[in-house]
Parts: sequence; C-alpha cells; structure tokens
Amino acid sequence: MNGAPRVRNAAGTHHDEDLVNLEPMVRRVVGARVKDPHAVDDLVQETLARVVAARSRIEADSLPQYAAVTARNLVASMATRSIRARERSHLLVDDPEDEDAPVADVLLREERHIVMTALAKLPDADRLLLLAHEVEGQDTATIASGNGSTPGAVAARLFRARANLRVEYLFAAEQLEPPTDRCRPVLRAISSADRRRQQDLDAAGHLLRCTTCARLRALLGARRGEQDEEGVVRVPVARDADVVLARQKAREVAAEVGFSATDMTLVATAISEVTRNIVKFAERGEVVLTLIRHEHRQGIHVVARDVGPGIEDPEEAMRDGFSTCQGFGLGLPGAKRLMDHFELTSNAGEGTTVTMEKWLP
Amino acid sequence: MKIDEGPSRARAPVPASILSQGTNLIVSIHTALDDEQLMLLQRDLLDRVGRQRAKGILIDVAALDVLDSFAIRTLADLAYMAQLRGAETVVVGISPEVAMAMVRLAVEMPLMRTALDLEEGLQCLTS
Repeated sequence: MNGAPRVRNAAGTHHDEDLVNLEPMVRRVVGARVKDPHAVDDLVQETLARVVAARSRIEADSLPQYAAVTARNLVASMATRSIRARERSHLLVDDPEDEDAPVADVLLREERHIVMTALAKLPDADRLLLLAHEVEGQDTATIASGNGSTPGAVAARLFRARANLRVEYLFAAEQLEPPTDRCRPVLRAISSADRRRQQDLDAAGHLLRCTTCARLRALLGARRGEQDEEGVVRVPVARDADVVLARQKAREVAAEVGFSATDMTLVATAISEVTRNIVKFAERGEVVLTLIRHEHRQGIHVVARDVGPGIEDPEEAMRDGFSTCQGFGLGLPGAKRLMDHFELTSNAGEGTTVTMEKWLP
Repeated sequence: MKIDEGPSRARAPVPASILSQGTNLIVSIHTALDDEQLMLLQRDLLDRVGRQRAKGILIDVAALDVLDSFAIRTLADLAYMAQLRGAETVVVGISPEVAMAMVRLAVEMPLMRTALDLEEGLQCLTS
C-alpha cells in the first residue's frame, strides 16, 4: 500500500466492530463482480486494509460508502491487470511494472507539476484547507474546531475549494490563461454546480461568447462524468435548418408536459419566431427548453439567447409593425401573444435573450 | 437570411413536389421547410408560372408544422407576385391548430385565397 506514515491513530480499537460489520457488505460488492472465490477473499482483505488505513480521515457514517467505492475500484484495477496479463501471456518475459516505468514516471512528474501550479493559483484559504484535509489528513471536525466553524460548513468550503482546484488544474494542464476576467468565476460556478451563481454571472451567455470556456466546460463535465441536467434540451442555433430543429424539439418537450396539439403548435410557432431572429441577426445562439413544475402545474420554459449585436430599443421592437429587416417584423409581439410569459432583455453589443413560458391550462 | 457557406454542405432539393394539371400547378410540401427552402420554393413557382403558362397555383401546406410570420409572409408575397404575372394562388390544408396559432400571431394574409382541402382548392381555381 502507500508508504505515507499514518498521521493519526487515535481512532482506537473500539471502532473495530464497525469494520466487522462492513465485511459482509464489502463481500457482497466484490462477490457480485468477481467469480473466483480466492480472488474475492483477497479483494475483501485488501479493501478492509485500505479502509483501516484511511479511517482517521473519514467520518464514521460515511465509512460504508468509502468501503464500497474502494472495493469497486480494486475490482476494476484487478480486471485491467488480468486483461493485460492475458494480452501478454505469449511473451516469455513480462515485467509490466518495469517496462512502463520511465513513461509513468514522466507522466507522474508532469501531473505533479500541474497540480502544484494549480494549487499555487488557488486563494490562500482554499489551499490551506485542502492541504490540511487531503495531505495532513485532518478530518472536518478537527478543522472546524480549530477555527470555530462547524463540520458541515468546512465540508461545504472543501467542496468549493475542490471545485476551484479542478478549474485551476484545467488552466494549468491546458497551459492557458483565462482570456477574460469573467472566465474564472464562471467556470468555478460551473465546477461547483452552483446554479444560482451561474445565473447571477450569466454563465450560459458567457459560454456562447467565449470559446475557451465552452471547451473547458466540456472537459469539466467529462472529468466529473456528468451529462446535461435532466429534462433540459439544448439546441445550438446558427442556420435556417436549426429553426426547424428547435421547434421540433419544442414539440417533443411540450408533448412530454402534456400539452394539447393546439398549444404545442402555439409553442412551436413562438419558438420559430424568436429562433429566426437569432439566425437573422446574430452569428450563433442557442435555444434551451426546460420542463418546469410549480405547485402541481407544469409547463415549458424557453430561453433563446444569442451573442449578436443586441436590440437598441427593446420597447420599440415589441411594438406591432416594427421592423428592421426587409420589411419583415421581428415577430416578437406575435410570439408574446402565443405564450403566457414573455421577457426580452437586450444590451446593445452584448446579445439578446428572450425568456418565454407556457403553462398547462 | 443566411445562405449556407462552404461547398461541403450542399443543400438538398426542397422537399416538395410540383405537378402541373392543365393550367394549374399543384404543390404538395412533404415536410417542415426552413426559411431558405421556402424562399427557394417561392422563386421556383414564380419561374414556373412563366415557363408553363400556369393560371393557378395550389399549395398544400398540411405538412408544415408551423406557419409563422415568415412563412405566411412568403406565401402572401408569392400570391401577390404570381397575381402580377397573371396567376391565382390558393393555399389549402391549414390545420385547426395552425389556424389558431395564425390568428394569435395576428399576421394578415392579404390577397391570398385559402380553401379546406385539395378538392375545394381546385374548385376555387377553376371557377
């Protein structure tokens, strides 16, 4: 196992029954994935040994989860090893550890360098907290009592600090500096999955404008293995055909909500109007469709945003008959009449966002 | 309106078929059309009015999921331009849902005649 010295051994022996209770659970986890009984025994022992080693850093009630994850990881790495062994069974001499060592060593050093750079970029408070918890092995209760806080608050701060570290890690690994002042706060808000902060920062608008952040966001998502939120459909909009796609997607979401054929057509028509403006006036944008619920009522929430030139006088644009493009109206007053809620925000030079809602009657 | 840039993305022909029956052009649209396809269809029909000496155009829009302000305007413009070239236009196949959305949109359809379906549309043109 790891050569790191055990920092604290104070947990004592009276917790050993926890460990005994864990064994059947670990055995189930491993047994469900591995057939060979000897291998199961080995893996269970290995898992328990690791749990003991890490015990001082883990709170008692999260011990079972930790044990389960450790067991799964060990099973996975055993599987990789056995596949490797099978692939190499035709070789007379196989010394896998040695062969990859130079490469592995370089990678390890590079990784270390990236992490160091990222750590250096973190705010002092974040860095100290992470070091205390992850390196020195202090648990949240100890840290909390040290600075007059609560374990919960410390855990929340740790969560944010890790989120910030992920962002700095990406910047360091990709060897780039954030191109604007807003990139760092936006990515941090995304990394910590803080919806309210994302909204305050207009994170979605920034991602449309900043290609660097859009790319890093995808990497952040990949690192955390997460998909887009459930019940949210995003349609990127850049050309005429996307207008048709957006309204078809809107129909699908509206059907899920349970709208009648008439209401689905009203929603699709409104989306057609606002999406066309993106194609006509802005280079690109997106339509985000969300299923919404509020006190037993359901509806569809539509955001159409772009990074175009913006509308100079939004009030005038909402007047019937107003038009700037080859004598066609913007269709905005029409879209407003089709929906229950309609809001237009636009700043000249920064793009336009239309928010619309339609509720089930 | 933007035209597709780059030769890599050649446009498929407009998914609509145009039959000529006597002096009438019968247009049936197969799927939802985007703005560019609508404009192409409009141009094509105007050309055919001259080439085939058509007196009437009948457009079946039942397959269009949505008739928004742009689609309505394009059809209305077509009707006006065709009339200037001596042909009458009738639009058929507007579903109840689409009709309701059009009324809410409150876009006028000047000069364009409508009928329930193909049969009545043809009667409109021959009478």
